[in-house]
Amino acid sequence: MAAPEDKIPGCWVAPEVYKHHEQRRVCISRPKYREGRNAKAVKVYTINLESRYLMVQGVPAIGVMTELIQLCALYGAVEEYRPLDEYPAEDFTEVYLVKFQKLTSARAAKRRMDEKSFYGGVLHVCYVPEYESVEDTRSKLLDRRRYIMRAAQNKVREREQKETGNEEPTTSKTATTSEKIISRRDRMTNNDNRGENSNFSHYSGFPLLPLPPQEHPYYGHKTQHGTIPTEDKMGTLHNAIINTKQQPAQGLSFSQTSSDRESGTEQRLTPNPASVVRFVPRTTNLENRKRKKEDVPEDTHTDVSGKSEPLIGPKLPEPPKLDMEDESLNTTVSLIRSTMKQVGSVPDIKPVEKKIKPRRRI
Amino acid sequence: MWRKSSEGSDRFEYLQTLVTEFQDTDCEEAKEQVLANLANFAYDPTNMEHLRQLQVTDLFLDMLTEDNENFVEFGMGGLCNLSMDPECRELILQSGGIRLVTDCLSSQREETVLSAITTLMNLAAAPSPRSSHITDPAVLQCMLRFSLSESPRLRNLATVFLRDCCGEEQVARAERQMQGQQSAVGIPLPKDG
Repeated sequence: MAAPEDKIPGCWVAPEVYKHHEQRRVCISRPKYREGRNAKAVKVYTINLESRYLMVQGVPAIGVMTELIQLCALYGAVEEYRPLDEYPAEDFTEVYLVKFQKLTSARAAKRRMDEKSFYGGVLHVCYVPEYESVEDTRSKLLDRRRYIMRAAQNKVREREQKETGNEEPTTSKTATTSEKIISRRDRMTNNDNRGENSNFSHYSGFPLLPLPPQEHPYYGHKTQHGTIPTEDKMGTLHNAIINTKQQPAQGLSFSQTSSDRESGTEQRLTPNPASVVRFVPRTTNLENRKRKKEDVPEDTHTDVSGKSEPLIGPKLPEPPKLDMEDESLNTTVSLIRSTMKQVGSVPDIKPVEKKIKPRRRI
Repeated sequence: MWRKSSEGSDRFEYLQTLVTEFQDTDCEEAKEQVLANLANFAYDPTNMEHLRQLQVTDLFLDMLTEDNENFVEFGMGGLCNLSMDPECRELILQSGGIRLVTDCLSSQREETVLSAITTLMNLAAAPSPRSSHITDPAVLQCMLRFSLSESPRLRNLATVFLRDCCGEEQVARAERQMQGQQSAVGIPLPKDG
C-alpha cells in the first residue's frame, strides 16, 4: 500500500468511474413551493464535491475539441485540458477533462454547459475533484473558508452600520423590541430602494440598447406619409414590413417625391427584407455576387450619364442648388428634374435589389 | 429582483416554512428533500444568519444519529457547509458536535466521511478550547488510514487534515500507536459514494 500522495499529479492516472459522475434522477415529487426553476435531483452540494476540474461527457466524436475548449473559455481561463480516452464513453462520443484556473469559472461553466446541446450531442458536465492534487484540495478549502469569513465580516459590518444609522433618528428611549422592528422596517425600505434603483438603471439603460426594428419603421413612415403619429413599437414595425412589400409596385410615384429621401428609405429599409428572407442557397448567393460584380461598372456609367444619382445618400444639399430665383426657370428646372427622376427610377429598382443581396449574407 | 428581496424577510420566511415542513411531515421522502434543500441553502453565506436563528445547526446534528443513511449524508453535508461560518462553528461546538461528527468518520458512504473530515477541519480552525478534541489520537489514526485510501478524494482530504490540523509529533505518535495495535487496520474503509 504505497501512498502515491501528490507525487503523481492526479491528472495523469487512469480515470475511474465514480458514483458522483452519474446524473441522478430528477425529483418529481416536490410540492409546488419547493419546486425550483429547473428539475433537480435530491443532492447536497458541499465544497468537497466542487472542483476546478470538470469532466465533460457526451462530446460528439467529430473533432470538436477546440470548439469545446473555446466554449469552456467563455466562463474563465482554462489551465489544462485533455481527452479522457480511457474513460468509458457512449458510442461516437468523447470525454474531456478540463481544468479551470478558478473554481468560480468551473462552477459557471458547469451550470451553463450541463445538459446543453453541443454539435448534435447533449453534454453532461460534472465536477471531478478526484483529479485534484493535495495542494488543490487544500487551497480550495482555504479559499472557501476565507470567502465565508469575509462574507460574515461584511454582514456584521452591515448590521453595525444599520444599527448606528437607526439610533440617530430614534434617539428617544425606545424599547429594544421596537428598535428591532424599526431596523427591520428600515432594512425593508432599503431593499425597496435598491429595487427601485435597479429599476431606474434598467430604464435608463434601455434607450442605449440598439433598437433596429424601431428605427427603420420610423424613417419609413416619414417618407411615405409625411409625419405620422408613431404608434407603439409593434405597430410601426408591422407597417415597415408592408412598406417594403409595396415599394416595387409603387416604384414610380415613390421616386417622384424626392430623390434624396428615397435613397434614405432604401438604405434603411433594406435590412428588413434581409431579416425576412433568412436562408439563401449558396449557389444563388454566388450568382448574385457575380451579377453584382458585372453590374457595378455599368451602374457608375448610368449614374454619370443620367445624373440622377438616386442611390447616393449623402448628397443632401442638392435641392437648394436648383433654386434659380426665377419662376420660369424654376418650373423648367422642376420639369427637367421630374423627367430625370422618371428616367432614373427605371434603373432604380435594379440597384435596390443589388443592395439587398449582399446584406442577405450577413 | 427575487434575489434582492430574498435578502430580507422573504428568505427567512421561506426557510422557516422548510423547517416547519421538516418537523411536521411524517413522509421520509419529503423529509429527505427538505433536508437536502436546507443543506444546500447552507452553502450560501447570505443564509447563514437565518439558518442560525432557525437552529438548523441542531437540526443537522440530530440527523447524524438517524438510521436512514440519506439523512446522515445530507445532515453531514449541511454541517460541512455551515461550519465554514465562524458563528455556526461556535454553535456546533456548543452542541457537542465534535463527538457526533467524528462518529460519522466510520460511515460507509464516502460523501458522508468527506463532509465529516471537512467539518472537523473547519471546527479545528475555531479558537475554542473544545476544538482540541478534534486531534484526538483515535481521529488521527483514522486520518492516517484514510491517507492510504484508494480513493483520491479521501486520501487528499485526510492528508490535508494531517498537515494542517495537527502537529508533526502528534501524527508521529499516532503512527507509532497504530503500529502497536494492528487491530485498527481491520476497520472497513468507506465505499465509494
